[in-house]
Amino acid sequence: MTLHHLKITAFDHVMVVERLLQVTRYRGFRLCGLSMLPAQQDNLLDIQLSVESDRSVENLTKQLLKIIDIEQIKVEDQGLQTYPVSEVLN
Amino acid sequence: MTGAELLLKTLQQHGVDSLFGYPGGAIMPVYDALYDSPIKHFLCRHEQGAGFAAVGYSRASNKLGVCLATSGPGATNLITAIADAFSDSVPMLAITGQVAKKAMGSDAFQEVDILGLSLACTKYCHQVQCAREIPEAVTRAISIAYQGRHGPVLIDIPKDVQVQQLDCEQAEQLLSDSTLNPQTVAPSNPVISLPDQQKLQTLLEESRAPIFYVGGGVGMADAVAQLRELMAVVKIPSVTTLKGIGAIDPDTDYFLGMLGMHGSKPANLAVQESDLLIALGARFDDRVTGKLAEFAPNAKVIQLDIDNCEINKRRGVDLAIVADLKDSMPIFKQLLIGLRPRLQIESWQQRCQQWLSKFPWRYDHQGQGIYAPWVLSELSNMLSANAVTTTDVGQHQMWAAQHMRMHDPKNFLSSGGLGTMGFGLPAAIGAQVSRPEDLVIAVCGDGSLMMNIQELSTLKRYQIPVKIVLIDNARLGMVRQWQELFFQERYSETDLSDNPDFVALAMAFDIKAKRINTRQQVNAALTEMLAHQGPYLLQVHIDEMENVWPLVPPETANHGMLEAGNAK
Repeated sequence: MTLHHLKITAFDHVMVVERLLQVTRYRGFRLCGLSMLPAQQDNLLDIQLSVESDRSVENLTKQLLKIIDIEQIKVEDQGLQTYPVSEVLN
Repeated sequence: MTGAELLLKTLQQHGVDSLFGYPGGAIMPVYDALYDSPIKHFLCRHEQGAGFAAVGYSRASNKLGVCLATSGPGATNLITAIADAFSDSVPMLAITGQVAKKAMGSDAFQEVDILGLSLACTKYCHQVQCAREIPEAVTRAISIAYQGRHGPVLIDIPKDVQVQQLDCEQAEQLLSDSTLNPQTVAPSNPVISLPDQQKLQTLLEESRAPIFYVGGGVGMADAVAQLRELMAVVKIPSVTTLKGIGAIDPDTDYFLGMLGMHGSKPANLAVQESDLLIALGARFDDRVTGKLAEFAPNAKVIQLDIDNCEINKRRGVDLAIVADLKDSMPIFKQLLIGLRPRLQIESWQQRCQQWLSKFPWRYDHQGQGIYAPWVLSELSNMLSANAVTTTDVGQHQMWAAQHMRMHDPKNFLSSGGLGTMGFGLPAAIGAQVSRPEDLVIAVCGDGSLMMNIQELSTLKRYQIPVKIVLIDNARLGMVRQWQELFFQERYSETDLSDNPDFVALAMAFDIKAKRINTRQQVNAALTEMLAHQGPYLLQVHIDEMENVWPLVPPETANHGMLEAGNAK
């Protein structure tokens, strides 16, 4: 299991955090920490998400970026380097 | 103008002329507005039926399927159809009524948190808070449904918003603004980049045994014509997934059929021996790959898909191209034209042809009973190229996929990802409404048909001329087959021999029906059914012990398929 810290910028729309958490759980990641604050720019949120899994964090970030109101994601740890992109999940 | 009227005007603006739904308390203002609207509403007899009709409507055409339901149970009954659309990437708009804003959160009558419930099976869901939001919200939702990988979206409208009054001038302005808002316009999709073109060229040049693995994405991207032009340049052997059926014309040289758990022997053998797998709009689904670690073990993989999430999800790839298939195929084609003289695949083509010759489908079935694959093959031979076939889920679905010839993915509608029993009849209703000029056949199983049998009433009400071919083994056939093969013949809860009399049942809905029991009756019965002007149910009695072959057992490589002769 590897811990990953994600910094997420999202539009402050209803449901965005619920979708974020739903996708995180469904894709096999355990929520370890969450904080959310209004961003400097109007209508945006800064979300810090800490998650743990033995799955590739790249696959999670790609899924999260499909959420309409999520603008960008930065993985702040070295988690991306611990998994080759071709790793098979199942 | 009310919010409800504005909703219908917005839908009209997007070309919606048909809705499938069921009225109820929290959606009554919309139904009241429908009373005066040119939009044609089709009353299904269960919201799930309405949802599947919308799915069938979308899948059979390029038009948007829209379903409508009330709050609470009406909305929850839509969920299965929405989840089906999500799994199969079908653009669909679900509209639900909601209790008035003041009552929300108070556990009001027929209140359910449909946004929460639909989170996991929609691309986007939104609850409008006032009538003036409606045009932009609907426009945005529709845009999202078609953006990138297609999918269902949901708009929830509280009852007080539906009755809220707007002056007509303001409403017209809102309608006009919603079409102009740049936020609602879908961004253009990417194509194959130059560096990727170079890598693609290298992989193709090195390959001696390439194969196209074509999935549902080709049809969803409306890229069938472009794929066929590409495949005409060099006759690279090809297979399709269940959802890819129809993307490749069945008469194409070296087309080997469907691959996977119930795929054809030539298709599975060829994929296993290929050295380059070119996945086009396909996602290495577990029903396709069998034992993943042994799937196409010697093949390099090129994957072209609009959805970045499908890249490296189950199988690592050597070249990932995240791009729009329709726009990318012409680039791929030009590249192949340049490569054509240098490709060395003749011996591979011959090998594929040998498999096709050595392992054809056989219809010389022993016994007096009706052999379902032969019935479906005969039926397919009688259909014109533009006929639409829907299926339910189970043995009959696999037989239809194996033995019917489809000429377009829009002509074969089957619940692939979610595998939803009860899909066939309501999806056929939607397909027939969407394409009134074309013949629509619903190939159903007896277990599945009973899951949405109430939609016979919808056939009757609108005299929708869907032909139902009921493959009846009085069993939950696929589960029974697995019980026989993998659960020591312990037939737990799969005996449906107490089914109703389907002919009498159809006739109770004023639908002409007939039952056949012997193979001698098949051709005349099919001819009679196809000649009938209105809806028709043909009940085809088959042996309950009939199995679908080949079958790749769980955790087995696809070349380890079981066949009729080696199953025991």
